[in-house]
Formats: sequence, C-alpha cells, structure tokens
Amino acid sequence: MAYQLYRNTTLGNSLQESLDELIQSQQITPQLALQVLLQFDKAINSALAQRVRNRVNFRGSLNTYRFCDNVWTFVLNDVEFREVTELIKVDKVKIVACDGKSKLSKTTFFFKEVYPLVPVLLDTYGFCILKVVI
Amino acid sequence: MACINPVPKLYRSVIEDVIEGARHLFAEEGVEEQVLKDLKQLWETKVLQSKATEDFFRNSLHSPLFTLQLPHSLHQTLQSPTASLVIPAGRTLPKFTTAELGTSNSRANLTFSGYPIHVPAGVTLQTASGHLYKVNVPIMVTQTSGRASILQHPVQQVIQQLGQPSVPQLNPCCLQATTEKAQRMETVLQQPTILHSGTEDRKHLEKATSDTLVPPGNEHKIASEALLSQPESSQYIGLPGVVFPPQVSQTDSNVEPVVSVSASMIQNLHGGPLFKGPQGTRDQHVSDVQLHLLKNRKFECDSVKQPRNIEEPSSLPVSEKGSNSQMDLSIQVTDDDINEIIQIDGTGDTSSNDETGSTRDVDENEFLGIIDAGDLKVLEEEADSISNEDSTTNSSDNEDSQIDVVEEDPLNSGDDVSEQDMSDLFDTDNVIVCQYDKIHRSKNKWKFYLKDGIMCFGGRDYVFARAIGDAEW
Repeated sequence: MAYQLYRNTTLGNSLQESLDELIQSQQITPQLALQVLLQFDKAINSALAQRVRNRVNFRGSLNTYRFCDNVWTFVLNDVEFREVTELIKVDKVKIVACDGKSKLSKTTFFFKEVYPLVPVLLDTYGFCILKVVI
Repeated sequence: MACINPVPKLYRSVIEDVIEGARHLFAEEGVEEQVLKDLKQLWETKVLQSKATEDFFRNSLHSPLFTLQLPHSLHQTLQSPTASLVIPAGRTLPKFTTAELGTSNSRANLTFSGYPIHVPAGVTLQTASGHLYKVNVPIMVTQTSGRASILQHPVQQVIQQLGQPSVPQLNPCCLQATTEKAQRMETVLQQPTILHSGTEDRKHLEKATSDTLVPPGNEHKIASEALLSQPESSQYIGLPGVVFPPQVSQTDSNVEPVVSVSASMIQNLHGGPLFKGPQGTRDQHVSDVQLHLLKNRKFECDSVKQPRNIEEPSSLPVSEKGSNSQMDLSIQVTDDDINEIIQIDGTGDTSSNDETGSTRDVDENEFLGIIDAGDLKVLEEEADSISNEDSTTNSSDNEDSQIDVVEEDPLNSGDDVSEQDMSDLFDTDNVIVCQYDKIHRSKNKWKFYLKDGIMCFGGRDYVFARAIGDAEW
C-alpha cells in the first residue's frame, strides 16, 4: 500500500533497469520483477518516513502548476534550496507531489497502477468491483 | 560541523531491505539465490555509477586511508615539512598545508576528514583497499557536498577513475603521472602554493565529481584528433566537432571510466611504473570508451548525413565506412522503388501511347508527388532535361505544388510554439519526487508544505523529511 512515486528516482530507475536485464536474460519473470518493485515501494516509503529527518527550505518563482488525480506538478524557476549545511541553486526544477495525507488516495493510486486486470475490466464491462482492505 | 551525507546510507539500507524482502519471493518462484545476488550487484553498481551518491561505499569503510608515496625525485624540490599525519575521519580539523614527506617512498597514513588537502604533483595515493592513484599535477582536494567544477590548473587535467567499487574520496582528482613529467613538477610546484593560500580562504571549495573535467578547448582538440585519424570525406568532420562535446558529457553517467583522454595521455597510459593491476582494465576502458564515442559520432554523422544525401544523390561521397555504403545503397533502392511504383501504374507503363511526352509528364508529376518539396529542385532539373517540349506545363505544375508547400510551412509552424514550450518545460534534470501536506495559494503567492522527498539536481541526489517553500507565480 505504498506510492510508486519513488520508482522514477536514481534508486528506483536503477532497480528497474537491473530487473529488466534479468528479465532479458530470462533469469526472472516479469511477475517477479513486479513483486520486487512493490517491495521497493514499501521499503523506500518507510525509509523516507522513518530514517530521514532533515528539513529543507526553498524559494523561487512558479512557472507552472498542475493538479490532476490528486497529484501536484510544479515547475519552478531560479530556485534556492536551503539546508542547514548547504545552499543549492537551480534554474529549473520540477516537483511531483502525491497526497501525503489521504490514505484513500494512496490506495487508488496503487490499484490503478498495479493490478493489470482492473483497466481491462473497466474497458470491457465498464465497471469492476474491488474489495479494499486498508 | 562535519557534513555527513545521509543519502548513501539511506540507499544502502533500502537496497538491503528490498533484497531481504525479495528473498522469499525469489524462493517462492523457485529462482536461485544467485540471481538475487546478481540483482543486488547490478543495482548497487548502477547506483554507484550514477552521480547520485559520490561516496556510496565510503560509509562502509570506517576510515578510508590514503597512503602517500612520493617518488624519490621529488625529494629535493619539495620544501614542505616532514609530517606524518593521521586524521581520524569525522573529526574537525583545520586545513592541511601539505601532506608530503621528506624521505623518499615514505608513507603517510591520511584519513580524509573532509577539509582541503593540498596534494602536490607526483604523489601516489593508495587507498586502504589497495587501489593506486597517481597525482600528476598539484591539486587541491576538498570534500564538500557542492558540485562539480575543479579548482585547478587548466592544462593537462585529465582525470581518470579506475572504476573500482570502493571509490575513495580522492578519486576524481587523481591523475596519471609518468617519470617524464617529473621535470614539469618543478615549475608547477610554485603554483600550488599560490593556489593553496588563495583557496584556503574560500568556504565552498568545489570538488570534482567522478566525471571528466577537461576544458572545452581540449575536448574539441581531442575530438578532431580522433576523427582526423579516420580517412574521410572532409565535409563531415565539421559535424562531429559540433556534436561531440554534448555527447561526451552525456556519456559520463553511463560510462564507468571517464572519458576524454588526450592523445598524449593515451601514450602515457602505458607508462607509469607504479601502476599495477588496474592499468590493464583502464586501457581497455579507455579504448572501449573511445570506440563508444566514435560510434556515437558515427551515428550522429549518419543521421545528419541522410537528408543531405537524399538531396544530392549523384554527389554522394564514396566512403570506406560500412554504414555509409549502406546508406548509398538504400537511397538507390528507394529511387528504384519510386521508379517501379510509377511503372506499375497504368499510365506509367510502357504500353503504346500516342504522346510519349504526356507519359513523361505524368511520370514526373507522380514522381514529384512522392518526393518532398525539398527535392523538387533536383528533380525539376531532371524532368526538364528529359522533356523540353512540355517544360512550360511542367514548370507551372511544379511551381504550383512548390508554392503550396512553401506556403503551408510557415502557417503550420506557428501552431507548434506552445507544444514545444511544454515539452521543454517539463523535461528537466532537476526533479523532486515527494508528498505534499499542504499546498496553499494566496493571489499569486504559493506556499508548499512537502514531505518525504527525494531530490535530484543534475544527477546528484538529496533527501528531505520536510520541505517548506515559497514561490510567486
């Protein structure tokens, strides 16, 4: 029950690439790879929630904003990120943020992405019934 | 206060957790344990290769040791005091002046505390794991969590990474040395003292990452040197010169050993008495990298060449490269196809016709219809040469089609502006993936309350538990 948000990071991408290589060489099945990615989602979400403690402030100018499917996407320009130890300046940054509070939105995100049958059912029948256990 | 980068530790722990969690999954599927180990290995390698964590494995070494070994010849030229320096990692200490020793081949164990260390030329650094790095020119080594550029001599700065898993802090600044360079050290040595005093005052000394830092002038030189070695149609050499530098920087993250070795340094690869095991692999890496680059150059060349060649089918240069010859063939094939298509049609067949001229006209019109507007000129010439009688009809038709095509382009091009902006806008190296607690807006003032985020700026990764931001739209 964790966001797949973090798959598009250095860590997540390198894991996906490694899994793809193993699939190519037929050492694992795509199903297994998917399971590993789910495991990754859990691990990264809990690691970020529990093991990271630092705070960052930033300031910049907002170029664009988008709110769709409970996901905010911003593009900021000329941003300064301030941490206690350092200052980072970038001319352009894209922020993708999922809802940090609502548990329900987390699970819808999860279902839509993970269970391959759901979109098929929706397309074929126009509805599908899911039993949600939170 | 020593700045500890939490990212490598975090990544390590995540990798461990995932592998452990996946263990039973693999067992259930009946997949061997070895595959799991392979996965872990692949994953760690990729993370290490990326710029995300400079010192990914550093945390696994409690105190990285650098053994300084000085060549005998340096002994007289150095004026630094003899010292044996041992600094435990993590302790805050003021900067060092020099770390050399007076006696030849004596060693100093030096652990990197993260403060600027001035390393003179000709010093060999050996990490605890046994990897050797030779310093060619005097350098200032710092550890900051800042970014890339080097604060060093402009010339002869070739940085090579041995690509070993235990990457020490000093790694990016290590250069090759040969005994021939010993003479240069004398003149160069004066500079480091100036460098040293000048830079110590600075707070944010910048440090090289594991990428190549070769001044752009050298890059071009290297590119053209490498390319001129290939006997070729000179018209294409200009292209690679332009294409190369961005490619070089892009391949950095993918290529493990670093790129851009100057021609003179290539020869030096074979020198260096102190190099042991890693040298063989490095040679191979460099040559692999060069091949890789040259291949890229070739592909770039080819893709740019293609449209040109279509325009001038008769003036294709005969080249020795296989890909070029393939291109020639392919273009001829398409010509044949076009001719065949025309011939298949009823009007284009060779059956008797009263007016051979009109047949030709239809041929030419069909011909023109298939080919782009850009090629019309060339084909026009051919068409005119074939049938002069109906040239007026031809030209009028051609002009019409030409005019139509010419007019449409400016009209259509205006529609694409916003699309390009969006795609360029969202395609960036700097991304933050996180969760939001609250997003607030008042008029055009936005406030962001974010949490649990991973930031990636120019390849380097950062994390935060909380982030608060302000922006004006």
